[in-house]
Amino acid sequence: MKAFLSIVLFLFTVSAIAQTAPLIRLGRGFAAEEQLWLMSARPDLTPNQGKRYQLKQILFQANPERFQAYLAGELDAGTAPGMAIIPARAQGMDIKIVASVCLEAAGGQYFTTVYMVKDDGPIKSIKDLKGGTIGVVGIRTATDLWARAGLINAGLVPDKDTKVVPMAFPVIGDAVRTGKVSAGTFVEPFYSAEMAKGGLRKLFTATEAVGYDHELLDIFFSEKFLKANPDAVRAFLADYVAVTKYYLANMEQAKTDLHKAGFVRTPLPAYLKTSDWKRDPNARVDVESLKKLSAFMLDKLQWLEKPVNVDSMVDQSYLPR
Amino acid sequence: MRFFDRILPLVFVGTALVIWEAAARSGLWSPLLFPSLEKIFRELGLFFTKTEMLLEIQVSLERALGGFALAAAVGILLGIVMGRSRFVAALLDPLFSGTYAVPKLALFPIFIFVFGIGSLSKVALVFLECLYPIVIMTCAGAREVNRALLWSAQNMGASRTAILRRVVIPATTPFIFAGFRVAVPVAMIVVVITEMVASADGLGYQVIYAMSSLRTDRMLAVVIVIAALGYALDKAVVLLRDRLIYWEKLDTYYV
Repeated sequence: MKAFLSIVLFLFTVSAIAQTAPLIRLGRGFAAEEQLWLMSARPDLTPNQGKRYQLKQILFQANPERFQAYLAGELDAGTAPGMAIIPARAQGMDIKIVASVCLEAAGGQYFTTVYMVKDDGPIKSIKDLKGGTIGVVGIRTATDLWARAGLINAGLVPDKDTKVVPMAFPVIGDAVRTGKVSAGTFVEPFYSAEMAKGGLRKLFTATEAVGYDHELLDIFFSEKFLKANPDAVRAFLADYVAVTKYYLANMEQAKTDLHKAGFVRTPLPAYLKTSDWKRDPNARVDVESLKKLSAFMLDKLQWLEKPVNVDSMVDQSYLPR
Repeated sequence: MRFFDRILPLVFVGTALVIWEAAARSGLWSPLLFPSLEKIFRELGLFFTKTEMLLEIQVSLERALGGFALAAAVGILLGIVMGRSRFVAALLDPLFSGTYAVPKLALFPIFIFVFGIGSLSKVALVFLECLYPIVIMTCAGAREVNRALLWSAQNMGASRTAILRRVVIPATTPFIFAGFRVAVPVAMIVVVITEMVASADGLGYQVIYAMSSLRTDRMLAVVIVIAALGYALDKAVVLLRDRLIYWEKLDTYYV
């Protein structure tokens, strides 16, 4: 009887702690966020989860919908490209980058987004895209920025010399092969799948387009949530960094677990073969690259109406020291 | 009574605007998500000062009206033939009934591969979406032609062509215009959606561009332009109908 009462008391206490732990409603995407997904696929790797914070990940297909849900108060945090957070901040949105997810980086060991053309086509350099069309995933997304950066650096005027049109990732390969667009954007796992089919050739990469390694995806929170729940955010980021390190050290096992949990639909053998984006093991944000991107968006693309203070947009004080 | 009829829609619109402004100023929602009318109308004003925006209207209208005109030409012909020929009706009815509910927008990726990413794929989809209401309404009209009129024409020795031209087509015209009134807004909706999915120009592209820039005020300004165009096109159809089939108006009776 005494043992039974002890168990009941223990379960009641655990349940009470879990209920009082702040809930983080986090809007996630569908690519390149492996370590974050792993926090839900393998909660055993996150000792603070359920105790100091609760995590609910909600899938979004695109940034605008994620930001709209965030503005409507349905999300406390989320993932988004740093270059999408910059204009959001410029609009006065209450948003702070607290950690990095992954970067676009040069070097054979990392994946960087690729722009490809028809292998036997006439386009040999970016200049040859004059009069053509580039397929990107969405307007004013990272893929749009890289395409425009590539064109501008080659002396072309986006929209005037070369059209930039949005298309879904799965159809870009065939659109390039059939000549419906002159070039297209490819990320993993579509890149590996299209390379296996053949008929396409690399024209330039995201890092070549902007000329330096830079932040791709980041984790953001609202300042309101950060102020109200600093301990929960610290505990969440401590787990996040621990999971990032685990992921980098045990990539094959982590990818298998993610596949098993349904976070990734690509056939497992193909998924295991894909190369990965660069990820900082401590989740530190490359603030300088965000500053350069912000200046590019303001000066060259006119995507910003006024400069953005990137330093005030990033707060890495919640990361483990 | 006529004054009341005219003032009533304005009262509705005015009330809706007052509710919107009160909600926007309540502070319950972020102004980025729920902008005030002042911001929306400022963006609307800016829209009309830019030449390139007027060109976007032109691009979308050309696509919408191009697809609609094709659908009207083919739809009237098919509808009348289906309405007056048992054989053709038996042949095509199952096809139209079976595919009417299919969301043709889902076929857009295929249209892109067949017709390219430019205007042609959008015009083709507008044509397909508009074809159904026009064919179905025209067919219903052609079937409903008063038998007494047909018999009278036959008794007076009218040829088949004369019966078609002098009896069937005039009797079917009100139905054709009913189909047009359904098809015109469909054309605008399809054009905007296809431009939102895959385009580098047009009003749909402007909607998605503003949305991606978190400029809800600008996006709503474009939405107002689209709504105004839809309204103007519908009024143009009604005006044309009232001119061509003036006798219909005489029969209208409100309970």
